Amino acid sequence: MSYANLRLADVEETVPESIQRPVRFLLEWIPLFIVIGFWEFASGVFVPSVVLPPPSEVASVTWELLVSGDVLPHLQISLFRVGVGLALSISIGVLLGVGMARSDPVEDFFEVFLALIYPIPKAALVPLAILWLGVGTETAVLIVFLACLLPIVLNSYNSARDVDQNLIWSAQMMGMPSWKIPLKVVIPATIPSILTGIRQAIPIAFIALVSAELIASNEGVGFEILRYSEVGAYTHMFAVLVIISAAAFFAVRGYEWLEQKVVRWT
Amino acid sequence: MVEGHVTISNLEKVYESGAERTKAIDDLSLEVPSGEFLSVVGPSGCGKSTLLYLVAGFLEASSGTMAVDDQSINGPGTDRGVVFQDYALFPWRTVMGNVTYGLEQNGVAKEERRSRAQRFIDMMDLDGFEDKYPKELSGGMKQRVALARTLAYDPKILLMDEPFGALDQPLRELLQDHLLDIWRDLEKTVMFITHDVEEAVYLSERVMIMTRHPGTKKASVEIDVDRSQDREDIIMSDEYTDMKNQVWQSLREETQPEKQL
Repeated sequence: MSYANLRLADVEETVPESIQRPVRFLLEWIPLFIVIGFWEFASGVFVPSVVLPPPSEVASVTWELLVSGDVLPHLQISLFRVGVGLALSISIGVLLGVGMARSDPVEDFFEVFLALIYPIPKAALVPLAILWLGVGTETAVLIVFLACLLPIVLNSYNSARDVDQNLIWSAQMMGMPSWKIPLKVVIPATIPSILTGIRQAIPIAFIALVSAELIASNEGVGFEILRYSEVGAYTHMFAVLVIISAAAFFAVRGYEWLEQKVVRWT
Repeated sequence: MVEGHVTISNLEKVYESGAERTKAIDDLSLEVPSGEFLSVVGPSGCGKSTLLYLVAGFLEASSGTMAVDDQSINGPGTDRGVVFQDYALFPWRTVMGNVTYGLEQNGVAKEERRSRAQRFIDMMDLDGFEDKYPKELSGGMKQRVALARTLAYDPKILLMDEPFGALDQPLRELLQDHLLDIWRDLEKTVMFITHDVEEAVYLSERVMIMTRHPGTKKASVEIDVDRSQDREDIIMSDEYTDMKNQVWQSLREETQPEKQL
C-alpha cells in the first residue's frame, strides 16, 4: 500500500487504528511546519528580519511573554470580553432565533434589524460604540456580541422552524400544555443546531474582539498588538499574534471536546 | 371494560391553502367499540393518516363530530395515544426518560413513574437499554420504545400510523405478534393505519377500506379467525385467505379505478 496519496479525510480507512492519532496530527500540521521552515530561511535572507522576524525568535519572545506574565493580564481581559460577548449573544440569539421561528409577529418585527446589521462589518461600528460606551470593555463586548449574534440567530431560527411536528404532537398527547412547548420541546430539539451556531461564533468572536481592541481599548490583546507595532517591536507583535491565534484555536477545540462529552445524545 | 369507544359522524376535513381547497375526508361515519382492533386501509393519499390525526386531536375537523365515550374530541388528550411511523422519540431523553415522559407530565411521583415505566420497558424486551439515547438504538428498538412510551401513560385508545412500515419483514412480524399480545392483555381500543393488506387482516377484528380521494368509508370486513392459533395456522386457513382476498379486491378497485369502467 502506498501512502503517497494519503489524505486527512481518509486516515480512518487507510491507517491502522493504533497510529491514527499521530498520523492525523502530522498530516494536519505538516503544511504549517513547511511554511515556518521557509519563513525561518527567508527571514534575514530575502526579507529584512526587522519586518519579518524569524519564527525561532518569535517563539522565544512568545515564551518570554508568557513566562514573565507580561501578556497574561491582557489575555485575561480579552478572554473575559470574548466570554461575556459570546454569552450575551448566545442567550439573546437563541431566544430571538427560536422566537422568530415560532411566532410571526416576532419575526416580522426583528427581521428588518437583522437584515440591516448583517452586511455591516462590525469593526465599522466601533467608533459609534466608543461614542456610546467609551473606550474599554463595554465597547469590545458590544462588538463581539453583535458579530456573534447572527450565526447563532440563523442556526437556531432555521432549526426551530423545522422541528419535527410529530415531536410537538407527542408532547401534547402526553399532556403537555401548549405554552410549555417552546421551552420543553422546541429548544431541546434545536440544541444540536444551537451548538453548531456557537461553534461558528467562537472564531468570529475573536475576530471581532481584536478589531475592537485595536481601536477602542487601553488593554487587551488587540491593544498589545497595536502598542508593540507602534514602538517597532515587531517580534513582540508577532508573539502576541501567536498567543491570540493559539487562544482562539484552543477555544474551538476545547469547545468541540466539551460538546462531545456533555451532549451525548446528539 | 366500557371505555375507549370512538364515535365519528359525518366527518369532513378540508385543507385550505390560499384559494385552493382540498377535501381530504368526506362524510365519514365510523364506530369503534371499546376494545376493538380496527385497521384502516386505503390507497395512498386517501386521508387515512388525516383521519387518525383528527381522532388524535392534532387536526381540527371542518365539520362533523368525533367523540370518545361521549366526550367530544377537542384537541389532544391522554385518553388517546399515537404511535408514529417515524417513532418521534425525544432524542435528548434516554429510553427511560422517553417512557416516563407522559407520567411526568401528569404529575406522577418519580419512584412511581420509574417503576411503571420499567414494566413496559420489560414488556417490550428493552431491559438493559434504559440509559441509552434514541440515536443508539435500531429502528425496531426505537419503535418498541415509542410503543412503551405510549402504553406507559395508559391511554384507552391506541392510534397507530403505519408503525411498522419502516421495518423489515421478520421484525415487522415479531412486533405485530407483540402488539397482539399487548392488545389482549391491556384491553385497548386500537385504530391501526396501514397500507399492507396482510398486516391489516392478520392483526384486526375488523378492516375498514377507504375510498380514493376524498376519503370516506367504502367497506368494512369482519375478520373472524380463531386467534388462539399460531401465525402459520391462521394465515394458511381458507377463511383467512377468503377475508384477505375480500379486502384486497375492495382495495384494488380503489387503486385501479379505471378497471371499474
